[in-house]
Amino acid sequence: MKAFLEKDRLIPFLNTLSRQIEVIAPLATEAGAVYSTWQGQPLDLRSNPLSPPTEFLLPHKETLFRYIQESGRYTFKEDSIPPRLLFAIRPCDLHAIALLDRIFGSEPSDQAYFRRRRATSLVVLNCTNRGDECFCACLGAGPEAQDPCDLEITDIGDGYLCQAETPAGVLILQAAFNLLQPAQLEHDQEKARRLQLVEDAMPRDRSYHQIRQAIERADWVALGQECLGCGGCSFVCPVCHCFNILDRGVPDGERLRCRDSCILSGFSRLTGGANPRRTAGQRLRHWYQDKFEDLPKITGLPGCVGCGRCHLVCPAPIDRSDLKVESREAKI
Amino acid sequence: MEKVHTTCVYCGCGCGLFLHVEGGSIVGASPSPAHPMSRGRLCIKGWLAGDFVGHPERLSYPLLRQGDRMVRATWDEALSLAAAKLESIRKEFGPHSLGVLTSAKGTNEENYLLMKLARAALKTNNVDHVARLCHAPTVAALGSALGSGAMTGSFSSLQNSDAILIVGSNTTEQHPLAASYILHAKSRGAKLIVADPRRTRLAELADLWLSPRPGTDVVWINALLNVIVEQDLVDRQFIEKRTTGFEETAEAARAYTPGQAEQISGIAAPDLARAAELFGAADRAAIVYAMGVTQHAQGTDIVQALANLALATGNMGREGTGIYPLRGHQNVQGACDMGALPTVYCGYQSISSPAVRAKFEDAWKAPLPEEPGLTALEMLWAAEAGSLKAMIIVGENPALSFPDSYRVLKALKSLEFLLACDIFPTETTALADILLPAACFAEKEGTFTSTERRVQRVRKAVEPPGEAKAEWEWISELMRRLGHQADYPSPASIMAEIASLTPSYGGIGYERLAAGGLQWPCPSIDHPGTSILHTDRFPQGRARLRPVLYDEPPEMPDADYPFILNTGRSLYHFHTGTMTRRTSLLDREVPTPFVEINSEDARLMGIREGNRVRVETRRGSINAEARLMDALPRGNLFLPIHFSEAPANALTAQAIDPLSKIAELKVSAARLHKVIS
Ligand code: SF4
Ligand code: SF4
Ligand code: SF4
Repeated sequence: MKAFLEKDRLIPFLNTLSRQIEVIAPLATEAGAVYSTWQGQPLDLRSNPLSPPTEFLLPHKETLFRYIQESGRYTFKEDSIPPRLLFAIRPCDLHAIALLDRIFGSEPSDQAYFRRRRATSLVVLNCTNRGDECFCACLGAGPEAQDPCDLEITDIGDGYLCQAETPAGVLILQAAFNLLQPAQLEHDQEKARRLQLVEDAMPRDRSYHQIRQAIERADWVALGQECLGCGGCSFVCPVCHCFNILDRGVPDGERLRCRDSCILSGFSRLTGGANPRRTAGQRLRHWYQDKFEDLPKITGLPGCVGCGRCHLVCPAPIDRSDLKVESREAKI
Repeated sequence: MEKVHTTCVYCGCGCGLFLHVEGGSIVGASPSPAHPMSRGRLCIKGWLAGDFVGHPERLSYPLLRQGDRMVRATWDEALSLAAAKLESIRKEFGPHSLGVLTSAKGTNEENYLLMKLARAALKTNNVDHVARLCHAPTVAALGSALGSGAMTGSFSSLQNSDAILIVGSNTTEQHPLAASYILHAKSRGAKLIVADPRRTRLAELADLWLSPRPGTDVVWINALLNVIVEQDLVDRQFIEKRTTGFEETAEAARAYTPGQAEQISGIAAPDLARAAELFGAADRAAIVYAMGVTQHAQGTDIVQALANLALATGNMGREGTGIYPLRGHQNVQGACDMGALPTVYCGYQSISSPAVRAKFEDAWKAPLPEEPGLTALEMLWAAEAGSLKAMIIVGENPALSFPDSYRVLKALKSLEFLLACDIFPTETTALADILLPAACFAEKEGTFTSTERRVQRVRKAVEPPGEAKAEWEWISELMRRLGHQADYPSPASIMAEIASLTPSYGGIGYERLAAGGLQWPCPSIDHPGTSILHTDRFPQGRARLRPVLYDEPPEMPDADYPFILNTGRSLYHFHTGTMTRRTSLLDREVPTPFVEINSEDARLMGIREGNRVRVETRRGSINAEARLMDALPRGNLFLPIHFSEAPANALTAQAIDPLSKIAELKVSAARLHKVIS
């Protein structure tokens, strides 16, 4: 099902949705764009927030259950998962979610992840304005949505072309039916034209194979020396998904699942104290290797969707927009 | 989910971050892309900044001491008792028997109120905070040399430096965002000179690494100045137009020849010559330093020596130049600015100036004490001696963070009355008669001032646990109970009062503090703030160079104690670890106390990585795990301060810098044993 939404009807459209479900959207704040609950705040649909929307499926920290002790017996309580609609996430992040679905869906599938995943509707905004560091096209992730979502929308100038892909997507459109107009053939043509422009402007030199070669050639000792170990690259990567489990509170308390990062040395340290990835360079290399060698083998997809966030967030002068390790090699 | 923009609670870099809030608790954090300094970047502590907030061990009710036990009380009971106690002690022993330690972790508003409480309500100038142990020498030396004790530029200015001299700062670990700017400058071609006894990460990346013997900084810095003068790499025009004291200073430095410097500090003469060339020939050179400079018995002199170097080469007041003291706590700059110091009111206005005092008496409607107060350590020694009877200690843990812990504990125990306020139980709160639960940075409104003078908002993201309260609320209440007016509806109204009394904060108001805050001096509401100080004049007109002479550190290694023990921090922990050790990923990185030992020394003593060793000084001993380091010169030991089970300060020295009253924390003579278990 397709429809056209005029730009000045976007807010009423979101109002209609937010009466039914918690709407998460990219909000404009004084400190930059963030995905957060929309309650009428100004939107920022031009920039892709630095912190990816995957946190709504795989939170930085979530309570798996609470444990309560009463006269020597434990009872366990799970919190309910709020239904949510992620509005205007980008195709790269959608591709990351498709990958997370594969990772967490391999048997035995991860219940905590899928409880959230099933309660979440996805509305994707195709990219008609790419960020400076984006290279999704190199990795088959964008600028047009490549993966299943509920609703796909595209900015075509004076409004959005909306395409429902699932029954949930149809329901979303039906809920706001009075705000929509029928889609026309020229809307489709305009969408194709705009996406082609973005696609043409995308860098082409960061393909899966090129990055793999760069990983082989890079000077990891030098890169590791500059890495400040902040973990930021793994925390903003929409594909990164490792976690740690801990219990907090005695005798009552909660079992928490928190995000973790292979950039941290404690992640790979063995009980005896030895560490197979002792240096920052080894850990950084491992991070790339997981994305470009191991995950492709396991899931069939590269573990990078070309969102460019790891470059934006890195406090070190490591130029990783295209893993420019070749030029660095020459320099060092 | 809501995302609340605030300022990082750990180091003085002052990064902007969002706390992610859901169902009334913090579920994550992320950097703010539009922050003018951090620009979407954080260090690992910042990424995990919200983690300790909801920890079950948070203090959540006021507690009163009854014998050995602490019993729950209401705020009303606790504050009435506190007021009554403070009043009666003051009546019996006079206001000098009272002292206040404020917190470099607290907001500006809270520091201001506490210093007002001390002066206007308790009638004492005995008010100080932990800056005494980190950057008191900076405030003293840069204050007299330049007229302002703060960082002269902004981090972003380092991008334009041609050379950066980094002294006594393990920047990649202690101030990661400052390191980010330094590394970016380097990748654009700036030359890095690192002076540090340890081969730090920056030392490895530097164009030149100088490894002075601990405590000998005055020698090599003077010698460097000497070489620069000899080679005429000084900026004559700048010296003539904008400084005084150059001739005497150069003359005094002449006694420090490269040969002598090599002998005393261990820095080879050719290295010094190279440093002179890199630094002296640069058009725009900057000096970055931290506690490796200040935490010495000669701390003030070392800072002055660095100031001499910057001034003689005209590296001041322009992009890419200046002096960058890196301050440890996120709001230690603010606590100083707010006058949580025994000799000044907010904005460094001297208590000994009758005009200034009259202004504050008028504003506060109370007579104010004239006599300068005691510094943090002096208060404790007065307590030990019995002349100081009662203390208010807010958000500070001197029992672990101050030098010579055994003596500090004794001093705290000899107090007749201790009111402590904190977010977690600590070694200090264990001794309190009244213990008040505080709201942490994520649970209150206020401002922090970063090391680049950036006054930034702190915002309430979640409610405090139990009955815990923001400090400004109970401080106002205690002031009222002590008979002093204090009607503040919000922290914003406190900031309005601060602005009215503090010229450098004159234009600062909450409505103006958007994501990036404002850098002081910001004297009026239409002033955009100041990114670079001293562009065309110094506050006192001309900057002052002053000759400095080397004194040997008070305690040098000898046959009994052959090692030099240095103390400091780890990237993954903060201060006494109360917050970071409750952050699971940080705790996992460094879960146990360790001492770094040179690998060769360790080999000779039969110590392997991970062995338990005992470190002893003349003051105490602790056990820790050995970490073998090639990066540490032979004969040196390095011990982090974060661990209560291995309190580094049980070992540190008492010697005090006569000018700033900081303690010698970087050089103690020590010995080492393998613990046979
Ligand atoms: S590796 Fe970097 S560019 Fe690729 S998906 Fe992760 S954050 Fe984005
Ligand atoms: S973001 Fe950069 S500095 Fe931080 S861990 Fe990744 S590579 Fe290292
Ligand atoms: S560099 Fe300092 S202010 Fe920035 S995130 Fe780290 S601890 Fe916080």
